[in-house]
Amino acid sequence: MRDLKRFLANNTLALAGTIVLAILLLAVLIGPFLLPSPLAIDMAAKLQPPSFSHWLGTDNFGRDMLSRVLEGGRYTLAIGVLVVAFAFVVGVFFGLVAGFAGGIVDTVIMRVVDAILSFPALVLAIALAAAFGPSLQNAMIAVAITLAPQFARVARAQALGVSSRLYVEAAHALGLPRGRILTRYILVNAIGPLLVQASLAFGSAILQTSALGFLGLGAQPPMPEWGADVSANLSFVRSSPWTALGPGFAILITVLSFNLIGDSLADWFNPRRRSAA
Amino acid sequence: MFAFLVRRLLALIPVLLLVLVIVFSLVRLIPGDPAVTLLGPGATRDQIIALRAQLDLDQPALFQFWSYFIGLLHGDMGHSLKSGQPVLNEILIRLPATLEISINAVLIAIVVGIPIGVVSATRANSGFDHSVRVISLTGVSMPAFLLALLLQLVFAIWLGWLPVSGRISPYFFVDRVTGFSIIDAWLSGEPGAVSSAIAHMVLPTTVLAVFLAATLGRFVRSTMLEVMDEDFVRTARAKGLSRHDVVYRHALRNSLLPAITVIGLKFAEMLGGAILTETIFSWPGIGRYMYEAIRNRDYPVIQGATLVFALMFMLTSLIVDILYAVLDPRVRRKMS
Repeated sequence: MRDLKRFLANNTLALAGTIVLAILLLAVLIGPFLLPSPLAIDMAAKLQPPSFSHWLGTDNFGRDMLSRVLEGGRYTLAIGVLVVAFAFVVGVFFGLVAGFAGGIVDTVIMRVVDAILSFPALVLAIALAAAFGPSLQNAMIAVAITLAPQFARVARAQALGVSSRLYVEAAHALGLPRGRILTRYILVNAIGPLLVQASLAFGSAILQTSALGFLGLGAQPPMPEWGADVSANLSFVRSSPWTALGPGFAILITVLSFNLIGDSLADWFNPRRRSAA
Repeated sequence: MFAFLVRRLLALIPVLLLVLVIVFSLVRLIPGDPAVTLLGPGATRDQIIALRAQLDLDQPALFQFWSYFIGLLHGDMGHSLKSGQPVLNEILIRLPATLEISINAVLIAIVVGIPIGVVSATRANSGFDHSVRVISLTGVSMPAFLLALLLQLVFAIWLGWLPVSGRISPYFFVDRVTGFSIIDAWLSGEPGAVSSAIAHMVLPTTVLAVFLAATLGRFVRSTMLEVMDEDFVRTARAKGLSRHDVVYRHALRNSLLPAITVIGLKFAEMLGGAILTETIFSWPGIGRYMYEAIRNRDYPVIQGATLVFALMFMLTSLIVDILYAVLDPRVRRKMS
């Protein structure tokens, strides 16, 4: 906790990101109780510009854009957490196993990792989501698959580094089971860089899932997901730009906040960059 | 050098095979019977059987992969379900459009990103440095479709300075010779065609370049700062070299090498961004082709485009590795 305080005190940008995220979290938790339903259609009030009664205007069904953006925020934050958690668990598992087992297991796992990383991440996510069928859940799985290899690489490198340490050899000599050594000794000591990777992955997870939503491969209407909302309002952008810009800027602000924190964390954990910065 | 090349190419084979397996599996990942899903609810039994045969779905998986692989060796990526044309031909027609904006974007990103990184590093922790950091983090956090939309709104719709979408104004009759619009416009000899082609390219290229320039600027800044701490820079300073010589002849040269790797890696991410950018600007490249294929559930096209994107990425990494070896005397010596 004291480390966290010191980190935030020394990193204005990370502090700014944390504050914005906190406000966002509060808004998406409380907002929907105070606003009209994001699905409530009111054709009499369609495509209205931002005003006191509709802060972000309304879309072509007269739905309140602020309600939609806040409800979409619930999805987006949940998407970020779930996608990163899934990628983390899968990637770290295979990375640790590869680094710990070595030999043919290592070779096979790492070649698969190389192959997945040979695709531009968004292209692979699009292709997988298109194959699984368009839905938010499938889009999230597709994005997690493209993010997992990065965790695998970091976890493997850490496992290789830690495996040769004396305390791990001691644990082996004591006859501890391999699974226990892997979780209690290797994972615990590799967690720092993995957390940095995770904080940086949030931004990518949200960006990519919203891109899939934009392309029609993620959340389906009328679900108020940000990327899908930008795309649904594209045809009104000339006359009513707020319909697409509201959810679009919501993505930017959220991803930027995560990246401000992730970037500062990466500096914090890297002494060379810290002294340089 | 030759041995290095051979080793690098050999190492590529298993990865390439796995890439092919992934692309091949895409159609097989479709839940249920792919042929039924592809043809939609109105399909007759005969149509389903015919499509199964066309996609080899009635054969064992290993045979399917083998015939897919042999087909690829003959340049056969299957046929588009929508147009019936060979996928490879359709991709080759669209490739120049994608290359045109992505290569221009890389050049712009290098010209803008590297100097920004250098200046940030030489004035680390100044106001300039902090604002560059925030701007470039904004650049990498920006969804490509939002930036595209903003530029389109401001410069094309509100200010009217640049065209909204497309590749060249419909008033010009430009024959397709090379597929690159500026070259074709120039060859057509029509006055004004070249500037129309360039004007159409500005916005989509900018969207792609912003992301790369932001990443590159940040990377050059941090490597520059690391290099400035090294012994040889201290020696150069101690020798009494001017600040200019230390920064540009010693530090910069050594920071640029790792930047090549970043350019290569980010080029691939940029290709992903091309799908969104081309869709918004109606730019007739592979990205938009893939988008249309998603809309039409045209799986052979999705497969083909995915494979081409992956091959372009692998080729870029290969070129980057070779360039690295050619440019860095330490790597070169280690290899020979």
